[in-house]
Amino acid sequence: MEYDKILEILGRKEFLVVGKNVTRTDALDKVLGKARYTADYVPRGTVLLKVYRSTIPHGLIKRIELDEALKVPGVEGIYTGADVTGNNQIGYALPDQPFLNDVKVHYVGDPIALICARDEYALEAAFDRIHVEYEELPPVLDVDASLAEDAPKVHEGGNMAVTTRIRKGDAEKGFSEADVEVSDTYWSPYQDHMYIETEAAYAVPERDKVTVICNGQSPFLIREKVAHVMGWDLNKVRIIQALTGGGFGGKDDQGPLVAAYAAFAAHKLGKPVAHVWSRDESLCYSNKRFPARIKYRSSANRAGKVTGIEVDITLECGAYANRSPFWLWRQTAHAAGPYEVDNCSIDGRAVYTTKVYGGSFRGFGDLALHYAAESQMDKLAYELGMDPIDFRLRNVLVEGGRTTCDQVLDHSVGIKECLEAVRDASDWASHRQPVWNGSKVRGYGVGLAYHGISTSRSTPDWSGASLIMNQDGSVTYRTGIVEIGQGSPFGHAKIVAEIIGVDPANIRIELPDTDSTLNAKPTHGSRGLMMGGTAAAKAALKLRENMVACASELFELASERIDLAEGRAFDKENPETSISIRELAEEMYARGYDPAAYGFFRAPERFFDPATGLGVNYSVYTFAATVAEVEVDTETGETTLLRVWPAMDCGKAIDPMMVEGQIEGAVSQGMGMVLMENMELKGGRVLNPGFKDYVVPSSVDTPQIEPVIIIEKPYRHAAFGAKGVGEPAIISVVPTITNAIYHATGLRFNELPVRPWTIHKALKEAKR
Amino acid sequence: MKPLPRFQYHAPTTVDEALLLLTTLDQAKLFTGGTDLVPLLREAACSPSHLVDLNKVAELNYIREDSGFICIGATATLTNVAVSLIASVAPALVDAVSRIGSPQIRNRATITGNLCNASPAADSAPPLLVHEAEVTIKSLDDTRIIPLDDLFAGPKLNSLEPDELVTEIRFPVPPQGAASSYKRIGRRKAFTLSVVSAAAYVEMNGGEVKEARLAFGSVAETPIRTPDVEVMLRGEILTDGLLVEAAEAVKCSVAPITDVRGTAEYRRDMCGVLLKRALSEAVERAR
Repeated sequence: MEYDKILEILGRKEFLVVGKNVTRTDALDKVLGKARYTADYVPRGTVLLKVYRSTIPHGLIKRIELDEALKVPGVEGIYTGADVTGNNQIGYALPDQPFLNDVKVHYVGDPIALICARDEYALEAAFDRIHVEYEELPPVLDVDASLAEDAPKVHEGGNMAVTTRIRKGDAEKGFSEADVEVSDTYWSPYQDHMYIETEAAYAVPERDKVTVICNGQSPFLIREKVAHVMGWDLNKVRIIQALTGGGFGGKDDQGPLVAAYAAFAAHKLGKPVAHVWSRDESLCYSNKRFPARIKYRSSANRAGKVTGIEVDITLECGAYANRSPFWLWRQTAHAAGPYEVDNCSIDGRAVYTTKVYGGSFRGFGDLALHYAAESQMDKLAYELGMDPIDFRLRNVLVEGGRTTCDQVLDHSVGIKECLEAVRDASDWASHRQPVWNGSKVRGYGVGLAYHGISTSRSTPDWSGASLIMNQDGSVTYRTGIVEIGQGSPFGHAKIVAEIIGVDPANIRIELPDTDSTLNAKPTHGSRGLMMGGTAAAKAALKLRENMVACASELFELASERIDLAEGRAFDKENPETSISIRELAEEMYARGYDPAAYGFFRAPERFFDPATGLGVNYSVYTFAATVAEVEVDTETGETTLLRVWPAMDCGKAIDPMMVEGQIEGAVSQGMGMVLMENMELKGGRVLNPGFKDYVVPSSVDTPQIEPVIIIEKPYRHAAFGAKGVGEPAIISVVPTITNAIYHATGLRFNELPVRPWTIHKALKEAKR
Repeated sequence: MKPLPRFQYHAPTTVDEALLLLTTLDQAKLFTGGTDLVPLLREAACSPSHLVDLNKVAELNYIREDSGFICIGATATLTNVAVSLIASVAPALVDAVSRIGSPQIRNRATITGNLCNASPAADSAPPLLVHEAEVTIKSLDDTRIIPLDDLFAGPKLNSLEPDELVTEIRFPVPPQGAASSYKRIGRRKAFTLSVVSAAAYVEMNGGEVKEARLAFGSVAETPIRTPDVEVMLRGEILTDGLLVEAAEAVKCSVAPITDVRGTAEYRRDMCGVLLKRALSEAVERAR
């Protein structure tokens, strides 16, 4: 079935709700502060949990002394790795990460013990009375130290967690045929997610079961990890995901761990346990954006065609591999950027250090990769004396083009249209000279991005959803795709509404509950709407069939003549013959038409060969282009992002306002990464664990974001052709800003962040 | 989340009552806005046994002109200052307080608290230093008035005795031809500590700078005046050349450090840039 053609299948010419801006059903509660998040479910008097963590970056645990802590009045229990009867190994991709460390610690913050107490005073007092004796090992604090020949081993198998490699065409031949060549090394550091809601879980035990209300990004992965730690079957763990105050990838990794701490302790104690992180715990100990060093060499000929690239990626895992194999493969597979390059040579390695580990974060490797790739494209254009947009247009992927992995893109490729659109909207051609005003200078930059949607390589991909038509015509919708601020589940509701003709407001979106919700796989990889929404469409099409059949029996008309819209079932040829969905629902129950439906959607199979790095790596890609105007104060080094022109090929915008919401948030988060944010570490310890000194952009720093230009190149294996938006939105923002800074000042910054003192120093040195 | 340490709360209604509490209670801490104190309590950086809240002391809540001085009572908030008569006489102070924190913070935080917290980055300090503010300090048996500069004993350290409280900050109503300005660099446009800040005050006599005063934040252990640079300006016509000279000179008068908020080199250089900007704006405003 071609899912982008659902409207034709329905026999309709106009959309009812899809493609229109509809106010989200959860919006008002959220702005009024009435929405309930995990901590809001915790009753007063619940036992509290705090994780005792390693205070050193690297060492062997000789002894864990709990006696004094256990004597603190109010302490209910303290648990260590020795108490774990199920599995104490919870590494995501590799078996390198203990649930509770009792042999060795790998970073400042490695979990050692779970303290349970009746209040925070007792919790803190016990925390101060735990004593761990270590045999300290030399810390490994950066990738070079990790790769050094005599480097201390972070894990048994050595410091290299994984390597990647792609050989396509002949890179050296590409360089030899080129007229210009540029190479540089780029550094993209840790970034913290800084979601408003910190990590939290509330676990309620039964004799042989545990229920956890928590935040996260995949209730099913959380269930799997909790069951794994407990040594239980999946059906003994019930995860209910509360509304979640931001995820950005971070809670995909931390959600399972936080829930497992609470569930494990609650089961041991036989009492409900609440575990809510403070901001400094979140900043110091949760996974960050993986830092990456990317050496990038690329060349082009006078005709403006890129002839070859050679890319060498060193990813810093931190203490654990976590998602680094996936992250590194994504960087490797996207290495050429959204361009057709015949000759590619890519090598990647992910290495351990004894620092806080990296993990999922919006953009998943493609942010650092595109920062390097798009800086290189800019440099090549300037080397050739070509306009940076003209040069890119000569190289962008088009239908039939081949990606870095030699994957042929047969449809849904809109990068050229995106780029032309932002070029025209920003009146690019009139802004090719920097404009001075006193000490300030303004410049324009461009950046592109592409991002494979959902899971990579040959990993099977599927999603599920279910619908109940209640007797009164109200609809209950269940999806395992979670609401983390982005609105995917509401997007699903719109897809359902479009198909069964009800108002989206009449569709109640239940919180994901693993006891009653089909597994939808995680809300990550920008797959929530594309995959979850397509499962929703499948469920809705089934339910629609039953609704239409019932109406057809009632009206004594052929089913082809029935349509559903505006809360009614009616005869298309004689709309007067109609019945409300409410009445139809009653009839469905009375006449035996199945009033519930589930949808299970599996994405088309892909083939990817990890040995060559070639193959169909992703089902489909979303494309984005941005132009930005910046102003640099050359006396103070302060950079202001003034205006951004965004364009995106997202297949089909189910709700343009939500696309806009994603892009506006991404501009802010991307700007933070370039201009402000930095995790300051000394000896593996975080020096700025809070909003005071980990500076993220505020609303007043937000630039003027011009109306989002939506290019729609539908993807045929997703409901109405929609592709993911969340991650592609941030990727192009980063190089767009640095390229604009170059245009304004003539300075290239190959390390993020680019803060005022960095620019000031560079300008000072340039003058000398 | 870390709990607040346990303490007893007191809410006196007169200055005398407050002073009596301060004198008799052990480990008592004064509380006005709480915007600095509560985070300190949370980080366990201070753990007083008693909090003496001054907000119910009606006699401390005022901003008024009195005998040639602008007087700011101990519980006057930053918002009170921003909307007061001060805007016309000490624009630098209003420039500064309008950018501290968020509206919620400004509605709670007080000028006195900002000064007594004695942060080198306190935004209200440089403007009040150039306006030659004085601090009225009371104890049960004494009232003394000291120059603001003497309140700062070191980073996050004031010179108050445990039984003393600041009742008022005051500065002289500036003469005709005077104006001031405040400039700062933060790490974003709002809700952030100053990386470096500068205040300038001038009294102009036609084109001539009759009086010039400069103060800087976040570039030494306390907010500081730079008398050596001020001397260069007094009695001079403010030319571009003189501005550049002063901007160079100020770099030798400051002693910044490198920390997570910026480098020493940057802060030093920015003193020059902000000096030029603040001084030019003050002169402009004096016209």
